[in-house]
Amino acid sequence: MAKDTSPQHQFAMVLDLNKCLGCQTCTIACKTQWTRGSGMDAMWWNIVNTMPGKGTPRNALDLGGGYRDGEPVPGQLPPKAEWGEAWDFDYDEALFSGDGHDYLRPREHDGASPTWGPNWDEDVGAGTYPNSYFFYMPMICMNCSKPACLEACPRDSIYRRDEDGVILIDEDRCHGYRFCIEACPYKRIYFNEQRVIAQKCISCYPRLEAGVAPACVRQCPGRIRHVGHLDDRKSNIYKLVKAWKVALPLRPDFEVEPNVFYIPPTLPVAFDEDGAFDDEAWRMPIEDLRAMFGPGVDEALATIETEREKVAAGGRSELMDILISYNWKDLLGPYPEDPGQIPPPTFDSRKLQR
Amino acid sequence: MTVTEQPVLVASRKVRAALDSLLEPDAKEWAKAAVASIPLVPTPVDRQPSAYVRASWSERPRGAVSEIAVSTLTNARALAVRLEWEAPRPSRRISDYNVYADACAVLFARDGRLLEHETMGSPGHPVEGWHWRAGTDEAFVINATGLGTATRVKAHSVCASSRWSEGRWQVVLARPLEADGVPLAKRKKVPVAFAVWTGVAGERAGLKSYSPQAHELQVGQ
Repeated sequence: MAKDTSPQHQFAMVLDLNKCLGCQTCTIACKTQWTRGSGMDAMWWNIVNTMPGKGTPRNALDLGGGYRDGEPVPGQLPPKAEWGEAWDFDYDEALFSGDGHDYLRPREHDGASPTWGPNWDEDVGAGTYPNSYFFYMPMICMNCSKPACLEACPRDSIYRRDEDGVILIDEDRCHGYRFCIEACPYKRIYFNEQRVIAQKCISCYPRLEAGVAPACVRQCPGRIRHVGHLDDRKSNIYKLVKAWKVALPLRPDFEVEPNVFYIPPTLPVAFDEDGAFDDEAWRMPIEDLRAMFGPGVDEALATIETEREKVAAGGRSELMDILISYNWKDLLGPYPEDPGQIPPPTFDSRKLQR
Repeated sequence: MTVTEQPVLVASRKVRAALDSLLEPDAKEWAKAAVASIPLVPTPVDRQPSAYVRASWSERPRGAVSEIAVSTLTNARALAVRLEWEAPRPSRRISDYNVYADACAVLFARDGRLLEHETMGSPGHPVEGWHWRAGTDEAFVINATGLGTATRVKAHSVCASSRWSEGRWQVVLARPLEADGVPLAKRKKVPVAFAVWTGVAGERAGLKSYSPQAHELQVGQ
């Protein structure tokens, strides 16, 4: 059984998939802030995948891990190529070759043209025209309440912070055994080959401690990310997850109880055979959405539709107000401080120690 | 060389050679050392401290190495322990996410007396391990007081060197006699245990071949 490590508060995030632009600004914000160190070239602690798609690493959600009926499920550990190398770019070739025909081509370290990488399925989507569809799905550490990674580590290197439930890896204790990567059903832990340690999203905990929202949240131009404490009944997080029940965990069948929640995609109205709107049909099979977000997705989508129609008819909706986020700072919950007013947070592995 | 299930006394012979020389696994001095063959067995899966590891490894083969050849030499100032074992498919370094390097270790009682190697020590009887891992000849030293408690010692005097030849790893781990760590007094016997990790089998952490009983190592005169 998973270890019970209940914190005083639970840091949580809600991501509105109906607003995600797929711009990867969150990805770059995270990269710039945290993963420029030794052995971190190919790490994307935050990545936006295009769905339906195989994810990052390839087939990320089909590689085992998590629990089934409370028992750990063995997971796979894909090789680095399945996550994607950090490509090289020949700027001289593209900018100074003289003929004006070359473009900036990504290359694997051996010079080959890449055949896989992060979010390789960009805009592939599914369905048949005119009812083709896709949506973007940002992925980070889910700070699970039943973290399979934490239980998998034989060295007790992974811990859940008592103050906010953020899950961290103590880099001094980690010996790079990689059981945690196998056990994470979302495959959101990377391996640093140079330092022989596991590393992952740290929820920007140095920023949280200074009252500043995570970089991915603050930088999001689509205003899709809400943060706060799940146990704070006044928070938008609580309202979206617990009260309105429109924010759902990804793959609840993994039994890890993630604390990142998603507003499921409603997708555009489908067309019928005559090219007219078909209000009864869904572009994406509802079974696929249930498989991703669990049985609560029907009720969540119905609630969103109802509230949208209420607003369309000239009424008001608390839910729509929250999701639209008229006031940007409402997204930031208890972390509204300006990062420009604090010293830049630095990556200091000593701070990861308990 | 004899294989036995009884505790083996690995006696260290004193030689006139520099430590740098003893650190060469194929140095001529090693021909003078007695070689003890220590039987190894797979570690029990039900004793692994992680439920995930127990669930994942209950059916997986492990502990491929069934025997390790151990010899030791002492010079005026240092003890060197040479380990040799069969590794037809060596894993020489961690070259990918899903690649594990071959490794070996010598485990001592931290006080040089009672060695509780089955449990990696206990609060009353801590253990000290000298580790080598392929891909780096930097030795690691760990202290532990039970399964899952191993902590790396930041400053230590253990050094290592290795050679893979004709399907076998040859590794030397050495330490000055006078140094922090397990006491290594001349002519004294200290309990000792051994372990080998086979990288291609995915072995790491508590998944390994180990000597199921403590043996004795006698420091040379």
